[in-house]
Amino acid sequence: MMDITSFFTDYTLRTITLGTAVLGAICGMLGSFAVLRKQSLLGDAISHAALPGIALAFLFTGLKDSNVLLLGALVSGFIGTVWIRGIVTKTHLKTDTALGLILSLFFGFGELVLSYLKKQPDANQAGLDKYLFGQAATLVESDVNLMIIVTGISLVIMLLFWKEFKLLLFDKNYALTLGFNTRIIDGLISFFIVLAIVIGLQTVGVVLMSAMLLAPAAAARQWTNSLGVMVLLAAVFGAVAGVVGTGISASYNNLSTGPVIVLVASVFVGFSFVFSPSRGLLFKQIRLVRNRRDLHLKKTLQFMYSIVEKHDDISRPHAIRILNQFQGYSKGTLRQLEEKNWIEIKGDTWSLTTSGFHTAQNLYNNNVPQS
Amino acid sequence: MNPEIAILLISCLTAVACAIPGVFLVLRKMALISDAISHSILPGIVVGFFITHDLASPWLILLAAISGIVTVWLVEAIQKTGLVKEDTAIGLVFPALFSIGVLLIAIYANDVHLDTDAVLVGKLEYAPFDNWIINSSSSQEGITNPEDFINMGPKSLWTTGSVLLVTLVLLGLFYKELKLSTFDIGLTSALGFSPVILHYGLMSVASVTTVVSFDAVGAILVVALIIAPAATAYLLTNDLKKMLLLSVVFGILAAFGGYYLSMWLDASISGSITTVLGLIFLLVYLFAPSRGLLAVLFRQRRQRTEVSLLTFLLHLNNHDSIEERSVTHLQEHINWGKVRAKKVLKLALENNMISKNGDVVTLSNKGKEFTEKALDYIITNKDEKIEDMKDDFFLFRG
Repeated sequence: MMDITSFFTDYTLRTITLGTAVLGAICGMLGSFAVLRKQSLLGDAISHAALPGIALAFLFTGLKDSNVLLLGALVSGFIGTVWIRGIVTKTHLKTDTALGLILSLFFGFGELVLSYLKKQPDANQAGLDKYLFGQAATLVESDVNLMIIVTGISLVIMLLFWKEFKLLLFDKNYALTLGFNTRIIDGLISFFIVLAIVIGLQTVGVVLMSAMLLAPAAAARQWTNSLGVMVLLAAVFGAVAGVVGTGISASYNNLSTGPVIVLVASVFVGFSFVFSPSRGLLFKQIRLVRNRRDLHLKKTLQFMYSIVEKHDDISRPHAIRILNQFQGYSKGTLRQLEEKNWIEIKGDTWSLTTSGFHTAQNLYNNNVPQS
Repeated sequence: MNPEIAILLISCLTAVACAIPGVFLVLRKMALISDAISHSILPGIVVGFFITHDLASPWLILLAAISGIVTVWLVEAIQKTGLVKEDTAIGLVFPALFSIGVLLIAIYANDVHLDTDAVLVGKLEYAPFDNWIINSSSSQEGITNPEDFINMGPKSLWTTGSVLLVTLVLLGLFYKELKLSTFDIGLTSALGFSPVILHYGLMSVASVTTVVSFDAVGAILVVALIIAPAATAYLLTNDLKKMLLLSVVFGILAAFGGYYLSMWLDASISGSITTVLGLIFLLVYLFAPSRGLLAVLFRQRRQRTEVSLLTFLLHLNNHDSIEERSVTHLQEHINWGKVRAKKVLKLALENNMISKNGDVVTLSNKGKEFTEKALDYIITNKDEKIEDMKDDFFLFRG
């Protein structure tokens, strides 16, 4: 276990942590758009499709400069995206097939080139493998600077085109009728998603990159219905996942950063799924139980009302025994009804109070006075 | 066994074993489930490896296949909560499981031959040398004779072969049911077959196939072998039987082509197979009759011209005055480019729809009749109105 203070003093570690935090933020930000556009798995396809670009960029230039390689990744990722769109619009193959095809075929071709490079005698290609699973440890300051610049640019563009992005996201046809060029806006969003994926390859790797894009956004989605808040939350979740993941992987030997970050982000998702107040499974279940109980209560009251109705005196006591033929009642519901001051219980008998009578009378009207 | 023949045989068997479930996955729009399964069986394989220490052990295959089915179930469970869409559910589940697998390898199995690189790419190159050896020695004294060990050939050959056999038997038994549930789930359940059982049956077969092929070709290339042959075949035919047959043929073609490509380049076999698959798909995508890119583009252009012609004829039908019918006026009225206008004019003349007198065009009798019919169709939008016109339309396609 590493000393916790070194976490803040160690220069390399600080660079890496900053890098993963920035990466998490931009991925969360742009991932929100991918998730809302139902293009969650496009990220997976693009990140795999970037591999041959990296390998070919190295094959042709012989440079291992990460900017050159990422440029190759950008180009081949974009070709993949365009081809996916071509398959979906021009043939009857469905989106899932197109994504799977491009993903696996591009990746396989990338593997071919990588393995070809590996067999070359003047081998200085070692290290290209890091793009498969990512190695945050190889991040240097210039990489982090690049990330910050890209994040800054995409943030500015996003703020400039915020209205257009939002419109396109939720009502494409309306955007069209208003005269926006949806093709350009569409292309812009896709381009930035590709960009975010490409700069993440070095840190998280081809295989797990899609989760970086999806998980923070999916988690953020559970907490809000507002796009602005969602983007902000996703960026925060992504950044925190990056920092925590880097921290954990630095504290143990042999833990690669990418998978740890992905797992941390997945924990966020799981937590959000369960504990989000409005959409979360836990509160949904609680609401369900509460509603059911409320329904039971009202059904019991309704039944009592149907008995009382036949008598002139509403406060006349009735034996609890006659409720037996009604399935929905229990001692608990009786007590609750009494607490609400709808009935009075004396020994073995119950009687409706005036307020109980009125509530029961208006039970199926919408303007029930809340007791 | 000769390594070359062994590799070719293994890759052919794997390709066929993957192609068959692939056809159904592609048709059911669940192609990406194969991607999810191929990644998330990793933790199953790792745990299985800790227990058995043998990558070809049936227990390991079973464990990994179960984790594949768990993935399918998890994806569906998340989907059912309605918190995220289906594709997001897939995208959330498999990276998490894959990460667990990678970390398990990193923590506990760093030195065994289960490294993360092989997980993605597979080790087809070494498959012929991992042989299944049976000890037939009956002697109890612990003396081992070299002759007592029978070399049964590569393990992968046996595992892949038996999975393929099971797949074929199941396909033969449940072909009708699978076909039905793929195309009409409602009818399937109405007839009393359980779509859920068929669904999970298919998923189990896909899982087991993925696990077995995983060792040979790796996580992502399994996906290629599952999706690509089926997608390519789907561009060529609508007939399920033909599609199955074609995808098997494409799989085998890619296995052979890939092997020789890899020999030539001295590169990874599985990467080469995928590349060949990609090339086959590209060719079919471009040149497939009636569904290929070129055919579609050609058809779209023709249809655009046909619609233009119809617009032109309708315009003539609506206007009687000479100035409305002069060529120059038409050009600016309908607002076509010169080339397009010329093309439409020529087509109309060729088909005797109009007659041209100097600069003024007049609708001929044939053209008038045609336009009336077309109007009829446009107004009523009933198919039978246009049935007998289809031949007329065909005329323009010269």
